[in-house]
Amino acid sequence: MNTIEEMIEVAVPVRTAYNQWTQFKSFPRFMAVVKRVEQVGPSVTAWVIGLGPVHREFEAEIVEQEPDSHLAWRSLERHPSHRGEVSFRPTAAGGTAVTVRMQVEPRSVAGVPTNVPRVVGRVVRFELGHFKEFIEGLGQEGGGWRGTIHNGHVRPAEPQPPRSRVPCWPVG
Amino acid sequence: MKKPPGEEPEDALTVTPPKKWAAGVPAVVHALEYSLEETSPRRAGVTLLTMNQVGGIDCPGCAWADPSPGHRHRNEYCENGAKHINDEATTRRITGDFFRGHTVSELGRRSDMWLNSQGRLTEPMVKRPGSDNYEPISWNDAIGLLAAELTSLGSPDEAVFYTSGRVSNEAAFVLQLFARALGTNNLPDCSNMCHESSGFALYETLGTGKGTVSLHDLHHADLIFLVGQNPGSNHPRQLSALEQAKLNGARIIAVNPLPEAGLLRFKDPQKARGVIGHGIRIADRFLHIRPGGDLALFQGLNRLLLEAEDARPGKVLDHDFISSNTSGFEEFSEHVRAISWEDVLTATGLTRKEIEQVRDEVLRSERVIVCWAMGVTQHKHGVPTVREIVNFLMLRGNLGRAGAGACPVRGHSNVQGDRTMGVWEQMPDSFLDALQQEFGFDPPRAHGLDSVNSIKAMREGRIKLFLGVAGNFVRAAPDSAVTEDAMRKCRLTAHISTKLNRSHTVCGRTALILPTLGRTERDIQSGGEQFVTVENSMSEVHTSRGRLQPASKLLLSEVAILCRLARRTLNGTADIPWEKFEADYGAIRDRISRIVPGLYDFNRRVARPGGIRLPNPVNEGVFPTPSGKALFTRNAWEMPHIPEGHLLLQTLRSHDQWNTVPYTSNDRYRGIHGNRRVVLVNPADLSELGLAEGQRVDLVGVWADNGKRRAEDFQVVAYPTARGSAAAYYPETQVLVPLDSVAEISNQPTSKGIVVRLEPAAPRPSTSA
Repeated sequence: MNTIEEMIEVAVPVRTAYNQWTQFKSFPRFMAVVKRVEQVGPSVTAWVIGLGPVHREFEAEIVEQEPDSHLAWRSLERHPSHRGEVSFRPTAAGGTAVTVRMQVEPRSVAGVPTNVPRVVGRVVRFELGHFKEFIEGLGQEGGGWRGTIHNGHVRPAEPQPPRSRVPCWPVG
Repeated sequence: MKKPPGEEPEDALTVTPPKKWAAGVPAVVHALEYSLEETSPRRAGVTLLTMNQVGGIDCPGCAWADPSPGHRHRNEYCENGAKHINDEATTRRITGDFFRGHTVSELGRRSDMWLNSQGRLTEPMVKRPGSDNYEPISWNDAIGLLAAELTSLGSPDEAVFYTSGRVSNEAAFVLQLFARALGTNNLPDCSNMCHESSGFALYETLGTGKGTVSLHDLHHADLIFLVGQNPGSNHPRQLSALEQAKLNGARIIAVNPLPEAGLLRFKDPQKARGVIGHGIRIADRFLHIRPGGDLALFQGLNRLLLEAEDARPGKVLDHDFISSNTSGFEEFSEHVRAISWEDVLTATGLTRKEIEQVRDEVLRSERVIVCWAMGVTQHKHGVPTVREIVNFLMLRGNLGRAGAGACPVRGHSNVQGDRTMGVWEQMPDSFLDALQQEFGFDPPRAHGLDSVNSIKAMREGRIKLFLGVAGNFVRAAPDSAVTEDAMRKCRLTAHISTKLNRSHTVCGRTALILPTLGRTERDIQSGGEQFVTVENSMSEVHTSRGRLQPASKLLLSEVAILCRLARRTLNGTADIPWEKFEADYGAIRDRISRIVPGLYDFNRRVARPGGIRLPNPVNEGVFPTPSGKALFTRNAWEMPHIPEGHLLLQTLRSHDQWNTVPYTSNDRYRGIHGNRRVVLVNPADLSELGLAEGQRVDLVGVWADNGKRRAEDFQVVAYPTARGSAAAYYPETQVLVPLDSVAEISNQPTSKGIVVRLEPAAPRPSTSA
C-alpha cells in the first residue's frame, strides 16, 4: 500500500465543512472525477468515477465516523483496494483544515508497475480544491448527517431516523 | 393453440448418478425445450427477454433480488424462471368444453402435472351443490354469488382469504382492505408454511421481520453460510451472486442433509468458464448435517467462539457491538457454555473437528452472512434455530454492517411484499390505525387465522367460505387428507387462478373458479395500461409490466376481481373507492403510500429504474425491539424421537418443479427420471432396514395421534442423504405432515422433520388383460 496525504484549508467552520462532506450524493456537483454516488445505506456508498478514458465503479464502507472530527472508509472491492480517512480540524482563523489520507494498492499492468498512487494524489489535491471552491462559495452546507459509525456499525443521531421507519412486522 | 396431453405420463423410473454441478448449457437447453413446448417462439422471446429487466416482467418464480439497473444480463433469468414464466405464457387453453368432458371427481384423480398441463383457465366456472361438473357462469353472476355468500355469513370471521406469493402488492393491499372492511383478519398466506419461523425469530431478536442483506453485501462477504437450502433448484440466480462473491475471495460453507448439485459447483451458461470450463466451486466446505441439526450446530459453534474469546480476550467477540446494541448476552453465554457436546454431535451427525474447522473459518472472516431457507424453518425448533443464527451473527458484530448479516432466502416472488401490504392475520395496531384513519372504518382488532388454524376451523365447521387468491392451497397445506376433508366442509370454495390445480377439485358445496390475468399479460383497465409492483427477498420494491396478449379477452385482473367483489359485498358501507382502484392501480399505490411506512411517494419512486429499496432498520443502527436493543436468546431443542427402524423424512421439491407444480417427472440434478414417487435413503440405512434399492414401499407417518398417514407406493433410491434421514417429493408427501406438527411460536408445519417408517407396498394390480 502507498500512502497519500493532502490537506487544504477551507474558510468555513468545521461543522459546515463536515456536514457538506457527509452529503456524498452531491459530490458529482463539484468534483470532476466523481460521476455518480449512490448512498446504499449510512455506511455504504457506491461510486462511479471517471478520469479521461478510465472509468471505474466501486463500493466503499465507512468504518469510522465521528461528527466534526473524521471519517474513515475502505473500498469493499479487494482488488484494487484502497482505504482512507478524512479529518476536519478547526484552524486559528475559524476555518477548517481538511486532510485526506489514503492508502492505495499499487497496481501493475502486464507486470509493469504503474504510478497509480501519484495520479491518485494529484486527483485528491485537485478535488479538495473543488470542495473548497464549492463550500466557500455557498458558505452553507446543503445538509448533514450527524450519526456516528464505529467498526462499520451505525449509531444514528436520533432514536428513530426516517430511514428506519419501515414495516417491521414479521415476514413469513 | 397447443394441444394439452390427454393421458398421464408413463411412470418408469430410471436412476442415474446425482450431478455434481448445476446450470451450464443443459440448463439453457431444458429451459428452451420446455418454453417452446408450451408457447410460440415469439411469445417465449418476449417473456424471456423482458424478464427481470427494468420495466419488464418480474419473474413470478422465486424472490431473489435483481442486480442494479445497468448490471443485468441480457438474459436475466434462470432455467426454472424460464419454465415458470412460459408455463404461464402457454398457448394451451381450458374452456367450458373441457369441464363438460371431465367431472370434478375425475379431475380429482388426475396428477398435479396433468392438471397443470391442460393450459390457462379462460372463463369463470361454477360447480353447483350436488353437481359433479363445473359449468360456465358469467362474471356478474359469479361475483354476485360469492358476494351473496359472504353477506349471508353469520359473521365475517366465517370466511378466510388465502394468498400465495404470486399476488402483486396492489392486489394484496386490496384483498386485506376488503377482508378488514368486511370485518375479519382471517388472512392466511403461503408464508405461514415457508418462512414464518424466520419472521418471528427476526422480529423477536432484531425488531424487524426481514433479512438484512443486499446483493452488494453478498458480493463483499468473506464467508457465506448456506443452511438448509438448495439454490440450484429453488433460487438459481443466487448462484450468480455466490459466484461473484467467490471471485471476490469469499469462502462458502454449505450445511444440508443432501449434497445438492447447486451447493457444489456452478457453471454460469452466460460465461465462457461456465460453457466450456469447469465453472466455479460453490461450497469450500460441506457439512452433511442431519435434518433439524442446525440449531445444535450453531450452538456448538457459538460455544467454540466464546471459548476462543476466553483464550484470546478481546480478540474474538465484538464487545463494542454487544455492549452498545444488544441485551441478554450473559444469560445466553451461560446457557451456551453448558450445552453438551454429545448432544450437539448426535443432533448434527457431524464430528467436533468439523465444527471446529468451521469456527476457524469464522475467526478468519471479518464479514459473515448466513443464508437459510426451509431446511431451517420447517422444523419444530425452526424459530429457535433462526434465533441461534442471530446469536451467532451478533457475537462478532456481523449485523448492521457491510458484507454481513442475516439472509432468509424466500421462495415466491412477492411473498415478502404481500406481508408488507398487510396480508397477515396479526397485523399490529399501528397498521390498523392507519387503515382506520385513511378509510374511516374500524378494522377488526382480534387476530385472525393463519393457514394451519384455518384448516382446523374449516374442519370444525367454523369456516364456511374459502377464497384463495393464486396458489394451490390444498397441495401446499400439510396433512393432505385432513385439509381436503376440511375444504369439503365449506359452503363455498373459490379460487382466483391462472391454471387448473387440485384445489379446484376439492370443492365446498358450491365452488367457483375465477380465472385471472397472469403476470406476463398486458393489464388494460379504464384508466389505461397498468403495471403492478412486487418486493423481492432483499426489500427492493419494483414494477412488473406484462407484455403478452391475455389468454382470453374476458380475463379480469386480480385487482379487478377483488374490487368488483368488494363493491358487491360491501355495497358502499365503507368509504373505499373500489371502482377507482380497479381503473387505476396508481390510486391504490397512493393509499399504500399513506399507510405503509417507508413507501411514501410510492408512485413516483417506484417508477425509477430499480424501484425503491426499503431500508432495514438494523443497517440504520436501529433495533425496533421493545428495549431498543437486539436480543441474545437462550434456545433449547428437542430432536424428534426416532424409534428404531424409522427415519426422519424431509419433503423437498424436484429441480423440474415450481412449488406444488411439477413440470415433468424428472429431477435431473438428483438423477431421478420418469417417476416422482421415490424415497431417497442413505445406502447404509437401507442395509440396516433390510430394504433393497428399487423396492416399492409405503411411507407410513408416525405421530402422537396415531393417525393413519400413509403415502403409498414409493420406490426406494439409494442416495447420500444424511444418516437416519430420508427425502421425498412435495406435494406427494404432504399427506404425511400432521396438521398438529408445527414449529413452536410460528405455527409453521414441520415438513422437514417427519418420522416415518418404510413398509413394503402392496403388490400393484396387474395391468394385463
